[in-house]
Amino acid sequence: MTVMRDKVVKALVELDVKGDENGLMPGYNVLVNFLPTSFWTLFAERMINSAPAEKKEQVRTGLYQCAQECGYHTGWGIINSDEFQSVVMPMVTEGAKDVLRGAFAVFTAWGWAKSGVVQIKDGERMVIRAQDYYEQDIKIPNEKMAFMVSAVSGAFFDLAYGSEYPNGLGTFKCDQTKGIEVGDDFGEFIVSKK
Amino acid sequence: MSIPFEIKFDENTYRHHVDGVTMVMHCHHYMSLTVKLADAMEDMGAVKILRESAEDSIRELLEAYFKAHGISSSAERLNIGREMYSVLGLGKMEVFGNDGGGEVKLVRSHVDEGWVQKFGKSSKFVNHFTCGYLAAMFAVSFSRAARTYNVYETASLAMGEPEGKIIVKAN
Repeated sequence: MTVMRDKVVKALVELDVKGDENGLMPGYNVLVNFLPTSFWTLFAERMINSAPAEKKEQVRTGLYQCAQECGYHTGWGIINSDEFQSVVMPMVTEGAKDVLRGAFAVFTAWGWAKSGVVQIKDGERMVIRAQDYYEQDIKIPNEKMAFMVSAVSGAFFDLAYGSEYPNGLGTFKCDQTKGIEVGDDFGEFIVSKK
Repeated sequence: MSIPFEIKFDENTYRHHVDGVTMVMHCHHYMSLTVKLADAMEDMGAVKILRESAEDSIRELLEAYFKAHGISSSAERLNIGREMYSVLGLGKMEVFGNDGGGEVKLVRSHVDEGWVQKFGKSSKFVNHFTCGYLAAMFAVSFSRAARTYNVYETASLAMGEPEGKIIVKAN
């Protein structure tokens, strides 16, 4: 058996998402928040639209790096969580590849993207496709905007094949090659060595 | 007491919705890094962008919630806005105010405590998100337009104070 995304998503999506008596949501070794996607998409869209031409790349890089570091630490928390151990690990038969498939199932359950791994070459390359992701709602003509999906994909590969946590961040990069926001049927993300 | 809060999962898109508003889970790393990015790019007005993005997105959520649950009184809306803040994992607040503005005490805070966990104590105010949240909460509660309220911190958990304090003033 290998990791079946839909089974994992169904198991994890039923988790109780609500602040505790302090109004906080500790989980997966992080503090979780649950916000309208429009907060994140409006921020990214307005940042890019407000930046002068010479700063646009700096803004895009900044948005990517926020998601990359988040994905690295949260990804670590996810794969070491009780939920992951109980729901995903019993399905793992192909080592790191299956752990990655499981991490993407959690990624989907959290509402980041309906995504899955379509190809993995151990320690070298990974291709992700997403049929839906909230960043597709960012509308800037002809610009691919899935910073979160891209950066988290790279960060998950860092966890699987980079130096041991927490020293592997940034070993791999991820390029978005297709985007629903630019008219493609799905988003495609290719992770490779930096 | 907490408020009713139903999350619907779309089996087709795999998105989460609350009263029709698409929602997503993120962590304190992402929030802290986003705040830091906004601070670093303040020369292009990025803190204002963050606050206004918070105000507009929370306004959308509160309006949808109040409509779905038939909540129309200002006092009840303000109280639900306070409760909603906790339900979303943002912390715990006490609110005193009317349509002219008010004062908010932050007892716990995702943004401040997340910042301290990630970067250590801050030398300046970091809770731009909550300022935007409160601008929306007051505006929707008192049926005012967006950007009606000027909101600013005067005490900060991230800076090491025992509780945060935020002032809300109608323009």
